[in-house]
Amino acid sequence: MLGLERRSDVPAWIYVAVPVIAVLLALAVGAVFLVFTGHDPLTVYRVMIQASFASTFGFADTLVSATPLILTGLAALVSFRVKLWNIGAEGQLYIGAVCASGIALLIGESLPGWANILMMLAAGAFGGMLFILIPAIARAWLRTNEIITTLLLNSVALLFINWLIFGSRSFWRDPAAGQFPQGLRIPDEAYFPRWGATRVHLGLVIALLAVVAIWFVLNRTRFGFRMKILGDSESAARYAGVPVRLMVVAVLLLSGALAGLAGAADVGGFSRRLDPNSLAIGMGYAGIIVAALSRLNPGSVILVAIMLGGVRNAGTALQSLPERVPMEIAVMLEGAILLFALGSEVLVRYRIHWPWSKGPALDASPEEAEAT
Amino acid sequence: MPTTADDHPAGTTNGPGRDPVVEAHGIYKTFPGVVANADVDLRLERGEVHALLGENGAGKSTLASVLTGLYQPDAGEIRLDGRPVVLRSPREALAHGIGMVHQHFKLVKRFTVAENVALGDRTQPILMSAPDVHRSVVELSERYGLPVRPDAVVGDLTVGEQQRVEIVKTLYRGVDVLLLDEPTSVLTPQETEALFDTVRAMAADGKAVVFISHKLHEVLSIADTITVMRDGGIAGNVDAADTSVRELAQLMVGREVMMEAPGGDGQAGEVVLELDDVSVDERSRRGRLDQLSMTVRAGEVVGIAGVSGNGQRPLAEVAAGLIEPDRGRVRVNGRDVTGRPRAARKAGLSYVPEDRIGTGLASSLSVAENLQLTRAHRPLLDRGRWSTDARRLMEEFDIRAPGPSTTTSSLSGGNIQKVLLARELAADPDVIVAASPTRGLDVGAIEFVRQLLAQRREQGCGVLLISEDLDEIRALSDRILVLYEGRIVHECAAEDSDVTELGLAMAGAGS
Ligand SMILES: Nc1ncnc2c1ncn2[C@@H]1O[C@H](COP(=O)(O)OP(=O)(O)O)[C@@H](O)[C@H]1O
Ligand SMILES: [Mg+2]
Repeated sequence: MLGLERRSDVPAWIYVAVPVIAVLLALAVGAVFLVFTGHDPLTVYRVMIQASFASTFGFADTLVSATPLILTGLAALVSFRVKLWNIGAEGQLYIGAVCASGIALLIGESLPGWANILMMLAAGAFGGMLFILIPAIARAWLRTNEIITTLLLNSVALLFINWLIFGSRSFWRDPAAGQFPQGLRIPDEAYFPRWGATRVHLGLVIALLAVVAIWFVLNRTRFGFRMKILGDSESAARYAGVPVRLMVVAVLLLSGALAGLAGAADVGGFSRRLDPNSLAIGMGYAGIIVAALSRLNPGSVILVAIMLGGVRNAGTALQSLPERVPMEIAVMLEGAILLFALGSEVLVRYRIHWPWSKGPALDASPEEAEAT
Repeated sequence: MPTTADDHPAGTTNGPGRDPVVEAHGIYKTFPGVVANADVDLRLERGEVHALLGENGAGKSTLASVLTGLYQPDAGEIRLDGRPVVLRSPREALAHGIGMVHQHFKLVKRFTVAENVALGDRTQPILMSAPDVHRSVVELSERYGLPVRPDAVVGDLTVGEQQRVEIVKTLYRGVDVLLLDEPTSVLTPQETEALFDTVRAMAADGKAVVFISHKLHEVLSIADTITVMRDGGIAGNVDAADTSVRELAQLMVGREVMMEAPGGDGQAGEVVLELDDVSVDERSRRGRLDQLSMTVRAGEVVGIAGVSGNGQRPLAEVAAGLIEPDRGRVRVNGRDVTGRPRAARKAGLSYVPEDRIGTGLASSLSVAENLQLTRAHRPLLDRGRWSTDARRLMEEFDIRAPGPSTTTSSLSGGNIQKVLLARELAADPDVIVAASPTRGLDVGAIEFVRQLLAQRREQGCGVLLISEDLDEIRALSDRILVLYEGRIVHECAAEDSDVTELGLAMAGAGS
């Protein structure tokens, strides 16, 4: 009978092989679509690789795309670790950007640049926390489903930033911009430093520091230990004296703060203003994919974010091809990668038992087992 | 309408006929990493009560599931009346007259007894004929001594009653062979006696009854034939008439065991745990407490007997400070710790909860981590010390695990419980609250756990032992309290405890 069997222990190579295969399968599916729309998949993929990974500047841009994904990936990771499902990183990122740009504009030139940047980072994190506060409290005390609350708040946040820039004469909007509304530029001092002539900015360093910090928190602190217990079982956590409600709130706030930092990084390092068009490109949702593909490992978040960053970055490059490959191919690949990765999760945990493989489904047959 | 086999009208039995009715030959069943059944032979005859005895994990349930079509054997053959058959599903097994009552019931709580009985019977027309089903239920329950009301809603019934519904359900489908998987684990002594009468009536009617259990006394008193399983294989097959508890225990474990923990003469000291007029009234807590007062003294084991759901869980959790009672106080060593678990621990209390996995232990964590679960920690952890601690405790408590970083869930049941006990006892408590500390363990591990508790008692620790296993309560306790509907309804010294009296008290009929 065709069936699945639980693997008793998972060989290490599986963890590498499965995501690689997921990506290859996603590329294969993408190829089918490309063929149907009259493009040569090999050319398209070659262009994508060249654009994102094969040149210094291309790779630098990939890193720029990866920067917010690392942070939103971590945001998803910390909440998923305790089986809290914050899928509102998208909205928390927007509000983080609102707060970061707001503080930078308020401070103006009254503080030295480094202080302004620090304030922006703090404000970004604060904004993300603020925006998840209500879902967090509702979850901790009323057991309100955080998936729904955080998801709905994403729309609220999107409408809010659009309103700030396009729908009102707010503090964030550039009063000089007439026909085409846009955000007010933050002062030059508040720009994140860049690395050489590339667009790689301080945000990447912050994201990498965040990875190290999260790793440390998870593995070396009481807070991380409590997260681990709570992630295993709430009842065990209560038994062990973990203040469960406070932990739920704290973890969600941490998650929101990381997403908010990603918003601050976009403002300070990339668009230099509150720019809905630059923010609303699904970086928060992509964080969920990053966390899932990284199997909730902080270290792997970096690699996965760079891979997805490359795919996203290449999307832009594709448009410059003579035959104008639609940019959406990048979005589609991202989705396909997630689906295949989730699907292949089954193969990590289970082994397929084919109809034609006979005998007992065990490493050793009963006879062998008995002989030992 | 397609039917899978010849239809059995309700209550039909085939009179005593050719033996054996069911034979299993060379059954192998493996799960990844586990050989659950290895070369198992079993022979069931009409009119006999055949006990399947074995420690937990011996493979009893697996064998029963193979015989009832739930699992397909990897190798081996099942014969019915001498003819080989393949049972592809429980439905097919039922069609062949083989039914099973599982450890976990499979009833629809919102349905009535009659509806549950009729459920899954494909001979029923789409609109079932309620009077017919009712009549059959009444008839069967009278014939086999299984008092159930056909129109009662199953969710309102006690566990014992639900079990009767399960049995009626299989009888209604006309089984000739009935397998009961650990049926007494949820019953009071009186209910157990009633079940035994039913089992005897079914056997007298020519049915083959397989009675699965790990309790030696029970098996001896009900079975005609006893097949003992160990490690997935058959350890022996004996006639109940010429065997003994000792022999059976030895077959089960593979060596001599000592089940009575050494009890010294009780010189109880200071009060170490005191519950003072405690009430808990919360439905979600599975049971309530009603103005309950009790004490545990140093060097004494107080056993709480009772049918599960009569307040055991809130009693344990209130004592451990995990839930705040609606009224009353809890004191450990004289200190008020009501509703404050960490204060209770600081005052010298250890708690071994009933749910090891999921409450007492976080099973996806490592052994070393679980050994630290209830300790107070600084903000930064000293993991190096954790693994030295773990190694020491693993040695001291004989925890068989590859190492401190092994995932706890991969250990065997006995070793999992040892991890929990090691942590709780290493805290050097003055009072231990232990809820069902040996439930589901194999004989070897039960022996170990009991010795540990007895040894602590010797050293002057007070123990509050909450268990549904009356034998265990009687073997370990100095004093026995019977808990019924949240109140202590009976109290006696363990030496002069009387099973009948205890059983009556447990059923709420105490003096
Ligand atoms: N569905 C299953 N998947 C994996 N392992 C199982 C499954 N059912 C039983 N086992 C394993 O098979 C062995 C025998 O279990 P079981 O038949 O339930 O024993 P018993 O009923 O005698 O306690 C145990 O080691 C158990 O862990
Ligand atoms: Mg079993």
